[in-house]
Amino acid sequence: MMTGLGATMIRAGRRLLSSLPALFGVLVFTFLLMRVLPGDPAVFFASGPNAGKEEIEQIRKQMGLNRSVPEQLVFYLSDIGHGNLGRSMMTGQPVLKDLRERLPASLELTFTALLIALIAAVPLGVAAALRPGSIVDHGVRLFCALGVCVPTFVSGLLLIYVFYYLLGLAPDPTGRIDVFTSLPPQRTGFLSIDFLLAGDFEGWWAACKQLVLPAVSMALFVIAPLARITRASMLVSLGSDFVRTARSVGLSWRKVVVTYALRNAILPVITIAGIVFSTMLGANVLVEKVFSWPGVASYALDALLSSDYAPVQGFVLLMASLFVLVNLVVDVCYGIADPRVSIE
Amino acid sequence: MRFVSFRPASSMLATVALLLIANAPSQAQTRAETLRYVTGASVNTLDPNIPGSTRESFALSMSTYDRLVAFGRKQLNGKWVFDLDTITGELAESYDVSPDGLKLTFRLRKDAKFQDGSPVTADDVKWSLDRCVTAPILGKAQLLTGSLTSADQFKVIDPLTIEVTLPKPDKLALPNLATVYPMIINSKVAKEHATADDPWATAWLKEHTAGSGAYVVETFKPGEQVILKRDESWNRGSANKPAFFKRVIVQSVPEPATRANLVERGDADIVVDLQASDVQSLEAKGKLKVISTPQYNAITFVSMNNQIPPFDNVNVRRAIAFALPYDDMFKAALFGRGAPLFGASWPDGKPVNGIYPFQAPVKTDLDKAREYLKAAGLPEGFATTFSFNVGQASTAEPMASLVKESLAKIGIKVDIQKLPDAQMSTQINEKKLPFFTEGIVAWLPSTDYFYRNFYTGNQRWNYSSINNPELAAIAQEARFEPDKAKYEDDGRKLNAIHFSEMPQIPLWQPNQDAVMASSIEGYTYEFHRQVDYRDVSRK
Repeated sequence: MMTGLGATMIRAGRRLLSSLPALFGVLVFTFLLMRVLPGDPAVFFASGPNAGKEEIEQIRKQMGLNRSVPEQLVFYLSDIGHGNLGRSMMTGQPVLKDLRERLPASLELTFTALLIALIAAVPLGVAAALRPGSIVDHGVRLFCALGVCVPTFVSGLLLIYVFYYLLGLAPDPTGRIDVFTSLPPQRTGFLSIDFLLAGDFEGWWAACKQLVLPAVSMALFVIAPLARITRASMLVSLGSDFVRTARSVGLSWRKVVVTYALRNAILPVITIAGIVFSTMLGANVLVEKVFSWPGVASYALDALLSSDYAPVQGFVLLMASLFVLVNLVVDVCYGIADPRVSIE
Repeated sequence: MRFVSFRPASSMLATVALLLIANAPSQAQTRAETLRYVTGASVNTLDPNIPGSTRESFALSMSTYDRLVAFGRKQLNGKWVFDLDTITGELAESYDVSPDGLKLTFRLRKDAKFQDGSPVTADDVKWSLDRCVTAPILGKAQLLTGSLTSADQFKVIDPLTIEVTLPKPDKLALPNLATVYPMIINSKVAKEHATADDPWATAWLKEHTAGSGAYVVETFKPGEQVILKRDESWNRGSANKPAFFKRVIVQSVPEPATRANLVERGDADIVVDLQASDVQSLEAKGKLKVISTPQYNAITFVSMNNQIPPFDNVNVRRAIAFALPYDDMFKAALFGRGAPLFGASWPDGKPVNGIYPFQAPVKTDLDKAREYLKAAGLPEGFATTFSFNVGQASTAEPMASLVKESLAKIGIKVDIQKLPDAQMSTQINEKKLPFFTEGIVAWLPSTDYFYRNFYTGNQRWNYSSINNPELAAIAQEARFEPDKAKYEDDGRKLNAIHFSEMPQIPLWQPNQDAVMASSIEGYTYEFHRQVDYRDVSRK
């Protein structure tokens, strides 16, 4: 047991080390890409009613753009080495601080959305797999197609229109919490957890209510891949020898489907969930915009539109690191579940 | 044992219950005394002088800092707008202008205090104005337009009196002191946070305030929201009272449809930047108060680069001016919400007055446009690009396709170019765009100011790159012209040159549509095109 765990740790460490060159590549690539894009950020930011040449030069200096590109790259890499991601022109804050404040918001939203998606997708996929070709199967397929083809901002606006504007059931769709609620002391950055830790149930309920609409509109978009994978691997699982054996010994329907078939079918679903999670984190920019959610994706988009280099670079680095991390976790889980993976 | 374990649970329950009871009424009260203002952009600095600061930051600084003087307000077609010609005291109890116009003397209010309780003195005023003209900040370029360029011009006479000297009598010196930048800072506090590299504490003031304004910053989350608390001792409001609202929440809501929903559901109190279509439908429903004011210090125009062929030919520019589909553009882009600057009639062919922007005698007349093209030697037309920036797509996109369609009728092939904002400003700065649409705003909308800033010199805001020595000379002269009749005459001359040269084609002044709960009163259109929180109150 100890040796198994030790081997996994060593493998994880090696994987982490081997991903460093990739991260470095991402770093340099984003840096160069930002410089190649047309548009001079200094001119954009010097757009006050009277900003002339002098102001533009000053901003250029402030952003370090007065140096040559190789020089900028060296300074940038050394800054990163010192844990400094630069300063955002948009918010006027250090990028690291911005990201640290905004990442929990994005993570909380994405986790919730993924949870909702899984809760909906797994039963749907199972239902479809139990009677392939039936009405239920077609129904699930239709639902998945609808979820995928309606862009998240459309479903977001639709949900706002129905649940906030028409019915008045949802709280106003702006940000993570009603502006009149006082915030709990920050511990994890996840409002739903911080409120619980502070023992403020009213605040917790307010934060949860705020989370529902954006999480649902994101979940709708990813139910399809999760449900399809569940269906496919359930079909394989249901047709396998052990399920046939389980059936033949007269085990209950429930036991066969849930304990034997689903348990074996769930592994690929978890893999896909990992991938879906990392894509969602970056791709939920439209949901963040529609719901004024103070997350990292909308932050990066604003920065990109105004050619604010530092935040975009910081965001890409963050996403790359998270992707490496999620992959690592999935890998390690696999190694534990199926020891054959660890043999090198 | 059971008792022991029971007690903490019950006391916790009681505490929760107590908290709930205590919370409920106080929150209800706060709502009525709070102004919730939602906007598309966000406050990105607490010091509006920082390069890159947004309009929201400008509005915020109006409430957190005081200036020596402020603009009065007047009615324009039944709506309150700021008045460039009435300058009232803010921190100054009174002011004098010497008969030769070279000396401005300000006497400070004796009771004015900074938010930390210390009195506002002439030394603070001097430090703040010195900072504005010396430090590398935005105020420098603005105050230049009012002949305020050097710290030597500001002199402390006694703790409550400060004197400003001017090299020439400049009409815009006094109004300049009422704009966003020359705010009065608590110099003792600021100096404590100054460093050798940053003697004017720009880094610290970006994230902190040290002012004497009507509101104190409670929380500041760049990109999300700012919450302000009323300064109870502030008495510079109307009738020497503090501001009306106890709290102000300035919140960024990027999606315009959501902003419209919020104000319609009564969750937001006031919003200014909605889409024209939303404003129209909200107005039709009649539940909310909609105050639409033409932005009389702003212009949307179509510009041509007067140095790039074929637009260097005046007849080509005239041809375009008579080929634009004005009415259709006005309806498609703005739903007709604004003041048109086309379709005037000049009876004797001369400008009717010396005010800029003026309504020009242009209308869609394709025959005339063809004649001008022929005169330019291009009877077959030519091909060009028409650019606009993504940030203005909702109004510029329909406009651009109408321009393309209409110009095609006289043989001009237009390729529409939609540019990201940073790219568009770069190209404008480098004078590379031949034909595009943009909007401009002047805080101090006087004729000479417009002409000097937007039609002279080799600088960014001279969009059309016009180089007309006569125009430049008159605009320069008009700046210091004390005689009103002569100034008006200069204005007419400038407008006449503008019309005959046609460097760019002013289209309209878009409306500022302020949509608010019916209980909100006192909204005034301000020069910075945002809501001044001190203006509004709840019935």
